[in-house]
Amino acid sequence: MTQAHAADVVMLEARGVNTWYPNGHHALRNVDLTVHQGEVVVIMGPSGSGKSTFLRTFNGLEDFQTGSIIIDGINIGDDLRQRDAIRREVGMVFQQFNLFPHLTVLDNLTLAPVLVRGRAKTQVERQALELLERVGIHEQAHKYPGQLSGGQQQRVAIARSLCMEPRLMLFDEPTSALDPEMVQEVLQVMQELAAGGMTMVVVTHEVRFARQVADRVVLMADGEVLEIAAPEQFFSNPQHPRSQQFLSQIN
Amino acid sequence: MRARIPWWRHRRVLPWLIQAAAALLVLLVISALISNLVVNLSAAGLLLSWRWLGTPAGFDLGETLLPYGAGDPYWLALLSGLLNSLRVIAAALVGATALGTAVGLASFSRNALLRSLARVYVEVIRNCPLLMQLLFWYFVVFLGLPDGASALHLPGVVLAKSGLHLGPAALVDGVWRAPIRLSLEFTALLWALVVYSGAFIAEVVRGGVQAVPPGQWEAARSLGLRPRDSLARIVLPQALRVIVPGLNNQYIALAKNSSLAVAVGYGDLYSVAETTLNQTGRAIEVVLIVLGSYLLIDLAISALMNGLNRLVQLHER
Amino acid sequence: MSSSRHQQLPPQEQLSALETLRLACFANPLDGLISLALISAVLAAAWQLLRWALLQAQWGVIAANSTLLALGRYPEPQRWRLWLLLWLLSTVAGLSWGLLRRQSWPRNDLLATAVLTGLTLWAPAAVAQPLAVQAHWWGLTAWLLLLRSSAGAMAARVPPPVLQCWALLWPVVYVSGMGLIAGGLGLVRVPSPLWGGLLLTLIEACFAMLLCLPLGLALALGRSSGLPLLRMGAVAYIEFIRGAPLITLLFLGQNILGFLLPGGLSPDRIWRAAWVLTVFASAYVAEALRAGLAAIPRGQVEAARSLGLNTAQTLSHVVLPQAIKVALPALVGQFISLLQDTTLLSLIGLMELLGTARTVLANPEFLGRNAEVYVVLALLFWCCCAALGLGSRALEVRLNRQRSVAVR
Repeated sequence: MTQAHAADVVMLEARGVNTWYPNGHHALRNVDLTVHQGEVVVIMGPSGSGKSTFLRTFNGLEDFQTGSIIIDGINIGDDLRQRDAIRREVGMVFQQFNLFPHLTVLDNLTLAPVLVRGRAKTQVERQALELLERVGIHEQAHKYPGQLSGGQQQRVAIARSLCMEPRLMLFDEPTSALDPEMVQEVLQVMQELAAGGMTMVVVTHEVRFARQVADRVVLMADGEVLEIAAPEQFFSNPQHPRSQQFLSQIN
Repeated sequence: MRARIPWWRHRRVLPWLIQAAAALLVLLVISALISNLVVNLSAAGLLLSWRWLGTPAGFDLGETLLPYGAGDPYWLALLSGLLNSLRVIAAALVGATALGTAVGLASFSRNALLRSLARVYVEVIRNCPLLMQLLFWYFVVFLGLPDGASALHLPGVVLAKSGLHLGPAALVDGVWRAPIRLSLEFTALLWALVVYSGAFIAEVVRGGVQAVPPGQWEAARSLGLRPRDSLARIVLPQALRVIVPGLNNQYIALAKNSSLAVAVGYGDLYSVAETTLNQTGRAIEVVLIVLGSYLLIDLAISALMNGLNRLVQLHER
Repeated sequence: MSSSRHQQLPPQEQLSALETLRLACFANPLDGLISLALISAVLAAAWQLLRWALLQAQWGVIAANSTLLALGRYPEPQRWRLWLLLWLLSTVAGLSWGLLRRQSWPRNDLLATAVLTGLTLWAPAAVAQPLAVQAHWWGLTAWLLLLRSSAGAMAARVPPPVLQCWALLWPVVYVSGMGLIAGGLGLVRVPSPLWGGLLLTLIEACFAMLLCLPLGLALALGRSSGLPLLRMGAVAYIEFIRGAPLITLLFLGQNILGFLLPGGLSPDRIWRAAWVLTVFASAYVAEALRAGLAAIPRGQVEAARSLGLNTAQTLSHVVLPQAIKVALPALVGQFISLLQDTTLLSLIGLMELLGTARTVLANPEFLGRNAEVYVVLALLFWCCCAALGLGSRALEVRLNRQRSVAVR
């Protein structure tokens, strides 16, 4: 399901990123990645390979010491205002959903647009209801997150990010905490999102999703990017020995 | 392309600036306070000095462990006060632990009457101020005790208006004589502390036992252990892991609460310090001595309980 | 314990009351023996207490000193201001109660209403107040209950922002109440040494309760901050305060604060003590709040930050609403201790409730009436503390209805 990228505009460019944890562990080793507008990139790799860390550097949840990351023309540096600007433009979906349990589903969606973008509450609510309809849970708008199933919560979390109208969406293992029967409903929403032209970087173990939706697959191990390839090539004919090893382990 | 980032937006600079500003503010306030202190103290002729500690105190203490009289210096008076504090704290720790454990376990009794009595005791005691309880015990109960032949006596223990007599006691000319006599003030304070802290310790014990997963009870039962044995051998050792840190807090609270002794005229550290201050006007020095002593007592209790905690936690592995 | 079979069948056959009692207290001979011993001990104690309360106790000491115990030496001509304050308090309390419970009247509320009504009808008469004063109290209680039910009925139509900011009303009530008590602005001034009894206890306790919250919050944030200097500062403060007995801090406040501040700036004795109470309570409140903050999963902050909320917004809209909910029982526990701790002010010579009681007992006219006075004081404190506990449980139930603490 490859598609033409809108004039090959670069949405995310990471160059020579190095991260050391406070305990001295070298978590990211000189990683590079370029993501074009409208592209879906899936990052795979064994646990502890640094893929989540890499994803979290894209909106400043994780620090990096050397290298550069430019998102939509904004450089993630030491300037706090630019960090805030990037976080407004980049949506993130977490493994544990991280919905705000003290707010209703609707308030979860409207909180950030009202506070951060200063938009009128009624207008945001209308948009939020539309988004909830799109992910198929508008009946639950006035419930609290604790009253929803895991799959429903994750769809709310996706809608919450979308409500900020992000230019780039990051997914950090969005289906890993779900019961098996709920995985599909979340992947369905993500697939529709991709079809709508959203730029996405997804860390996941879902091979079928990667095959069907990804434009490119990235394999990471031990903090390094070892292979970047189109999914059909990656899954049928992996080049790097670690890729072959990884694929044989998950199949 | 790397424009200079203004400091109020710089991710690495800002935290240090905030800390520097906070530190500066605190230092400014402290130095202002100290300079005021120096100005005011020198105006009053009370600049920091410890020489007064060696001068005779001139007041007597009702009961002391060390030989002490009114002619002895202040430092000996304060030391006697500290020892009096330690004496009542140590005794109350033992008593409150025993009472608290008993009441805490009683709240798991099969006997509904015992359970509800434990509950009532805890609720009544925790919702009344300790100072008031202490005054009640001393003025109403202990000062209301009979003396002489009608005193409460059990073998080895005599409780009379003249105090608590331990050991073989004999009535000589209407006055009780025994190897150990504890003053009524000490006894009342000890009793009030035991009853008050016992309620809090009971809650700690109850919480600790409740924190043990019910599966442990069931496993013990299914092995054929009697309820008493499952409690003593299976549940309590695990509950201790939760109980010991809670006990630490209660013990420190008890040590601090012992300073209410001044209300019944027992010569503990604080009451000696108050008298000392009133006589010498040496506010700073006296407050430093008192705060430092309590800090040491707290640290000693914490060290002891941490040691115990390590011992208890080891069982986990 | 409960197997699936248990759930299919309706559980046990109905036990007779006698059978239930037998199982609860006389399951085996030892149990029966313990029960019998306890019953006889409790009955004996109750009998002694009743005999004392009805036959021996001389309750005249309470009636003769009820105004002194309540107000200290607050001048007679100015007491209408305290009545006005009571009307204000019963208005705000009635409205708060109604907004909290809405239209439901749970068992605890009915109980509280019954106790309140009983107290209003009985207590003023019992301390031999004139009929006019008694009627005044009846009016206050009726007004409170009227507002409780009407606010409960209207609560659904009150806009949420009003409810969210409702708690901010209490500081306003405190400040206006202090204005009424102290005078100024055209009212005759009543100097602070004339405040006393329960009035002073409440002035001190409420001052500390209101101020220790923001202070404690700042300390808790400092202690859980990532900036090492702030964290160390907060830890030093909290540990110093928690290591010292309150009486020594009060002593320090009375004897050293005057030396620490430039001449003439030192507040008078009552406010010095109030500040010490605040400083003391804030360290404990900080620990309660820190436990609440620690209970909030990191993911909540990360989610808020990745939505673009800044630190302050994350704190006020995401972290604190959840943390305060977790910390609420511990916070109320601290407030209860704080109320009890005000009794220590009597040891530094302030005439709060216990201090006033001790002057009454020192009066030769009432010598030996210790038991009567202390029992009444104990009941008073017990009721206040129990009411605080009940109120906090009601608030907890209300907050938990939103099923609202993050699951780790």
